[in-house]
Amino acid sequence: MARYIAKRVGLALVTLVLLSMIVFAAAQLLPGDLGRSVLGRDASAEAVAEYNHAHGTDRSAVVQYLDWASGLPRGDFGTSLVPPEEPVWDVIRPALLNSLKLAVFAFVLVVPFGLLGGVLSGLRAGKALDRGITVVGLSLAVVPEFVTGLVLILVLSIWAGWLPVTAQWEPGAGVVSQIQHLTLPAIALTLVLFGYVARITRAGVVEALDADYTRTAFLKGLPRNTVIRRHVLRNALLPTIAVVATQVGYLLGGLVAIELLFNYRGIGLTTLEAAQLKDYTVLAAGVLIIGFTYVVVTLVADIVSALLNPRIRFEASE
Amino acid sequence: MDRETRRLVEEFRRTDASEIDNNLIDELVAGELDRQEFLRRAAVFGLGAGTIGLLLRYVGDEPAFGATLEPAKVGGTLRVGTVAYNSSLEPYALREAGSLGLAGIPGEYLTWTNNKLQVKPWLARSWKPNRDLTVWTFQLRRGVKFHNGKTMNADDVVASFRQYLNQKSSQILSALPPTMIDPSGVVKTGPYTVQFRLKAPNNAFPYLVSQTTYQAIIQPAAIAGKLDSWVPSGMIGTGPFRLKSQNKQRAELVRFNNYWGGKPPLDRVLVTFYTDPAPMVLALRAGQLDVVVQMSPQQSRAFKGNSRYRVYTVPVSSHNMFGMRVDREPFRDARVRRAVALTLNRPDIINRVLLGAGSLGDDSPFFKGFPSTDPSIQQRKQNLDLAKALLKAAGKEDLKFTITTHNQFDVPDYAAAVQAAGRQAGIDIDLNVMTYDDYYSAVGGGDYNSTTPWLNAPATITEYGARGVPNLYLTAAYMTNGVWNASKYANSEFDSQARTFLAAADIASQRKATKRMAGLLLRDTPVITAYFLAFTGAGSSRVRGYAADPISHIRVAKTSLA
Repeated sequence: MARYIAKRVGLALVTLVLLSMIVFAAAQLLPGDLGRSVLGRDASAEAVAEYNHAHGTDRSAVVQYLDWASGLPRGDFGTSLVPPEEPVWDVIRPALLNSLKLAVFAFVLVVPFGLLGGVLSGLRAGKALDRGITVVGLSLAVVPEFVTGLVLILVLSIWAGWLPVTAQWEPGAGVVSQIQHLTLPAIALTLVLFGYVARITRAGVVEALDADYTRTAFLKGLPRNTVIRRHVLRNALLPTIAVVATQVGYLLGGLVAIELLFNYRGIGLTTLEAAQLKDYTVLAAGVLIIGFTYVVVTLVADIVSALLNPRIRFEASE
Repeated sequence: MDRETRRLVEEFRRTDASEIDNNLIDELVAGELDRQEFLRRAAVFGLGAGTIGLLLRYVGDEPAFGATLEPAKVGGTLRVGTVAYNSSLEPYALREAGSLGLAGIPGEYLTWTNNKLQVKPWLARSWKPNRDLTVWTFQLRRGVKFHNGKTMNADDVVASFRQYLNQKSSQILSALPPTMIDPSGVVKTGPYTVQFRLKAPNNAFPYLVSQTTYQAIIQPAAIAGKLDSWVPSGMIGTGPFRLKSQNKQRAELVRFNNYWGGKPPLDRVLVTFYTDPAPMVLALRAGQLDVVVQMSPQQSRAFKGNSRYRVYTVPVSSHNMFGMRVDREPFRDARVRRAVALTLNRPDIINRVLLGAGSLGDDSPFFKGFPSTDPSIQQRKQNLDLAKALLKAAGKEDLKFTITTHNQFDVPDYAAAVQAAGRQAGIDIDLNVMTYDDYYSAVGGGDYNSTTPWLNAPATITEYGARGVPNLYLTAAYMTNGVWNASKYANSEFDSQARTFLAAADIASQRKATKRMAGLLLRDTPVITAYFLAFTGAGSSRVRGYAADPISHIRVAKTSLA
């Protein structure tokens, strides 16, 4: 098991290093340059060149990357290249915290609802309830999140006046106010992910219900609830863990549309803006952190799956 | 008019009035200026309110001043939405609506240009030019306090302007370029007197130190003397609200009780910055915002005719310049350029692209709201037959070209309208709609001025922001070798008229020059200007005493909530 984990961690590190290189290289292909982005179209060419030189973006991409990457082992992400030129971590940290709050809230909503929907659907496979949950879930999953969000805003905020449109709370707001502000985007995310989680859960439940061990359990006379609790759910929820884990990465870093719609400055929006401004240091750090999240949650999911399923351990050790 | 008024006016003309003042009075008496234009001119040349009132009485008009705002309820928080910003909040670096709007709350200017393009006293209480308009002397208001308790004086003004004029990357240089004034040209001549010594005559200098030059914030000398220290200091200015906290998402400002203009009614102003305009508009509809500083005409439709909201619309001089390079085919022949201009149905374009929120343009930068614009210039109209005849005469019946532009604001819609209009006269127009960044970047890392698409493509559409006077448009975009002369127009007669205009103090001379320039531009048509925009914002009807500012300033000293 330790060897398996070490191997996965090693691969994760290689992935992250490659990711940071790709981001830095891709950033060079973006149109425009930093100085022009910061100083605007009216600035003289001389002033733009001076700004680029002062911020080192007139050097080769390799030199810039090595300069930036040299601080990473110390946890130093460098300094933002655009005013007010704060340390990158000071730019990323509040955005990451915002993203975490929204991700946790959405996670808390989507996991129980998704699992419940999937289990009910699986247990009533082929019946009206199953069809209803499947159709609703898939319909919601294919609608882009900004459309779902827009409908929620119109209904719950503008017409009913129950919830705020903007996710960002006022300075000094308490926990209740923060939750109020995050409710609409969290519901939008829940609706988008519900179908996905429920579908995977349903598949696991149906498979477990058809499994030999379930049939054996029924045949030996165990009550239905006990069979479902002890045999069906325990086995059915295994693949769901991996699916839900991959969604944590999405919930943390892939919410640009939701962040834009609800004017919420999370890590996705911050990274997007950095790309538009050619703020390479913030861009690379943002992508790296999002990538890091994906890698870690996937790793954790794999380890948990391995712990719960001896077959995975066996295959890994081969 | 009573005998006393006549005596006072004659005494003023004999003893106090300069030659410029006397010309202005002559124009007023001769009926060459209407009341509004007289007010604009009088304000520019520094006549006091009392003198202006006296002169209006002299010609039989009502006093100009004395209007009061409706009574305000004290207290409350005004929630304002504006666009997000990416540039620095240091005054010399201001260039975006979001950042200048925020900085302009705690920060203030020497003068204020109102929506009628009149210059009003602000931190300066009066000003006077010398005879040839090369030296402007400003008297500062006494007893103005900064947020840190210091009293504002001439040292603060000199230090602020010298900082802004000294930076190579300073955004103020487009309004006050080195060819106009050096940092050493800003001189303290008394504890509350500052002189601006210009390198060439300028008839509109008080406009240039108003909020339209949004970098020209007056900060304490000790802070201005140390570059990039205004924001870390907490943006200490003289404005009605002082900064409490700010980040890129939101800024909180609280009432400054020692404000020189009287205690502001509101307790607090909360400014929220939006990366995307749609959620900002939704937030106003949901009651989460009280004012949205700016929105598109399309977005404002949701609020028009609804008693719960007010829509603010201000005609401004912002416009799109459709430039055609006169030094390259297929535009070398002026008949070709005129033909393209004649294909446009301008009122229809204003209705379709701007939903009516604009005013007609006549292929010159002379916005009808500028007092210097000669009203007798005839408006160019669509004439497809003439356009076809001109193309035939020029041997360009199969005219084909590409317009290069960007994808922001109303620009792509306008480009599509031009393309459709050209088709009616058999002109085949392709559109190269680039990203904003691409359009304003150097190509392949080359020299900016000789490679950037907006200054080098054969035909371009470029947006220009609002100005109180046409001076910058003329010097930068139309005069030979102007830094933004995308059409490469070079006409010595035009240059001469432009220089005459810039040095003319009286309205008659200015109009004479603008009429000549407009005639030359209609004949040569290096640039097509189909319309001028209207600035649009909206707010809740419970907001009182708020007026939209077309530069995107958030002017809330007298604002209150019902």
